[in-house]
Amino acid sequence: MGFILHELNKRFIAPDGTITPVVNIDYFAIAAGEQVAMAGSSGSGKTTLLHLIAGILAADSGRITYDLGDEGKLDIAGLSEPRRDVFRGRHIGYIFQTHHLLSGFTAMENVLLGMSFSGRKPDRAWARHLLTEVGLESRLDYKPQKLSVGQQQRVAVARALANRPRVVLGDEPTGALDAANAQQVLGLIRKLCMEVNAALLIVSHDPAIIGQLPRRVALSEINRAAGSTTMNRSVA
Amino acid sequence: MNICQLVLKQMRQRALSTWLTLLSVLLGVALAIAIMIVQREAGAMFGQSDYGYDAVVGAKGSRLNLVFNSVYHIGDPAALGTIPYSVYESLKSSEVKWKLPMIIGDNYEGFRVVGTTPALLGIGEDGEPLAAGRTFEYRKDRKLELSAGRAFSARKFEAVIGSEVAARTGLKLDSVFKPSHGAVATAAHDEHDESWTVVGILRPTRTALDRVIFIPLISSYAIPEHGTAMEKITEIQSTAGHDAHEAHKVPASAAASPATMHSAAVADEHAGHHHHDHEEVYDLLPDGSIDLHIPKSDWRLAAILVNTRGTLGMGFMWAINNRPEAMAVSPATEMRQFFDSFLRGSTTALLLISLLVTVVAAVSILVSIYNSVVARKREIAILRALGATRLTVLGLISLEAALIGLLGGVAGLIVGHALAAVGSAYLEQTVGQSIAWLQVDWREAGYLLLVVALAALAGLVPAMAAYRTPVATNLVAS
Repeated sequence: MGFILHELNKRFIAPDGTITPVVNIDYFAIAAGEQVAMAGSSGSGKTTLLHLIAGILAADSGRITYDLGDEGKLDIAGLSEPRRDVFRGRHIGYIFQTHHLLSGFTAMENVLLGMSFSGRKPDRAWARHLLTEVGLESRLDYKPQKLSVGQQQRVAVARALANRPRVVLGDEPTGALDAANAQQVLGLIRKLCMEVNAALLIVSHDPAIIGQLPRRVALSEINRAAGSTTMNRSVA
Repeated sequence: MNICQLVLKQMRQRALSTWLTLLSVLLGVALAIAIMIVQREAGAMFGQSDYGYDAVVGAKGSRLNLVFNSVYHIGDPAALGTIPYSVYESLKSSEVKWKLPMIIGDNYEGFRVVGTTPALLGIGEDGEPLAAGRTFEYRKDRKLELSAGRAFSARKFEAVIGSEVAARTGLKLDSVFKPSHGAVATAAHDEHDESWTVVGILRPTRTALDRVIFIPLISSYAIPEHGTAMEKITEIQSTAGHDAHEAHKVPASAAASPATMHSAAVADEHAGHHHHDHEEVYDLLPDGSIDLHIPKSDWRLAAILVNTRGTLGMGFMWAINNRPEAMAVSPATEMRQFFDSFLRGSTTALLLISLLVTVVAAVSILVSIYNSVVARKREIAILRALGATRLTVLGLISLEAALIGLLGGVAGLIVGHALAAVGSAYLEQTVGQSIAWLQVDWREAGYLLLVVALAALAGLVPAMAAYRTPVATNLVAS
């Protein structure tokens, strides 16, 4: 399953009434199983774009069409927020720059949490497999604070793959890691995405990361709104 | 991981806060439940209508004191007047199904000694079983039964003791004891010279009767001090009889009660009058029977429990109440009035207070969970990013609040009943009547549902805060 963005627009209105376009993309597509790196500097709207693709934010206009194979195509930009949430829980894996693990949950529980909203039964064997794949088979019952930063990000990778997603989105997924760890984690993300045949879109400003993926896109090339804002955080 | 597991996980994560909130709910519910049980049981105890008798006849005076003393064996018998034995004799079998005379005034180790007839246990004065329907019933269709021994003889120094008396005093069959003056134990023992032998022990009735020692009426009169007192009362009343005006000034209750017989006798003694000894009051026949020298005209009674034929007729009450020396009261009516006047109001006020405590507990749930929601905005945003809908998040928080309400409520229900059990044990010790502390009624179940609903409602405020948590902002902000 891949997705196509058509004439996608998102803008933010500041408290003083100033309107700032953040995303303005005519067309962009990723095929099923494809692995793409998107380069973008700070404030280029890359996080907002990923939030739109994941359905966390609603677009002002345009279409985000997912190809669901036998089930046809689905434009999630036209869905209500709850339906976008359900879609995300079932089909999308999201890796954040910081791991965003729940501190009271063990590594295993955090991965199981990734399945909780998929509408499918929790699959402990799959969770164990993922954690084994990221080299944490001996750390299943560790809580995040007992793991190193690199290990925490590996748990986050395993969690993003827990619901067997069709699309995995990575927002600077190695941004908090040193170079060696970053390469390792990126390798794991790519390997696991291939294992479940998920399309992968990683946004990063790190050339060393971008250079690893077969297809590379500059956000500034597709987003006409890029650079129009210095915002470094998105607004719901 | 399902929603319930998530909620439990959240609660465990904030264990201290969760426990403290649970504790506040528990205390509020326990208080309310204990008060509900007290209200219900007090209503059942004092507002019961299943007495085995429908009237108590006694001297004119406090109706409530008469019922307390003759039915519950509590209260001050010294304030209770006496009636002539002739009142008892005048109750014809055509009017009453059965009648049980009582004389109150002595104790043994704090347990009341009550003089009565063997009709208490279905035995006639002649030692033969009474005809069906002529035996004392303490509740409708419930007669006293012996767990050991036999009924006392009407004319011997014998006693039948309640189960609690046996358990607490160590008295058993063939034990010999000497009662003391007064209905309650005092530091200064003032024992009678006469001794009674235990010949029977009653099965537990879960009523005040378990704390009573029953002796034959005649043996009670045989106590010299009682005899002297009765003579004194007769003397006062006959003097009063000469002057109708004076008679009005000497109410029967002021004359003397069995409890005051001793006082009257002592006063008499101090006044320089001669004092009876037992040789003058009675002779002991070779078979141990008492040959009482005091004529029946001098006999006094504290109360008569009466089962009228069928429904208590107003005619019977009217007839007794129009006699100068006696009154008849319905224990059910008196106790219902007592309960409605004194107990219902105060327990209702207490119940209202406990409901307020419950509301405070609900507010504590609100504050506790609201604080946790504020602290967990990032976690909530993560759950949303993983696919949890706003409604799921709302449900998670509401469920947590309802669960605290439910757990605290159930624990409070248990603790409330445990409190009632302690109260029941205390009541059993003091008035000889336990309460059904284990029984859960519809009011408690309804209250528990209310607590859970209130908790869920309180949880809605933080749940709405969680519902409105913007995902993108809280993900990036952290």
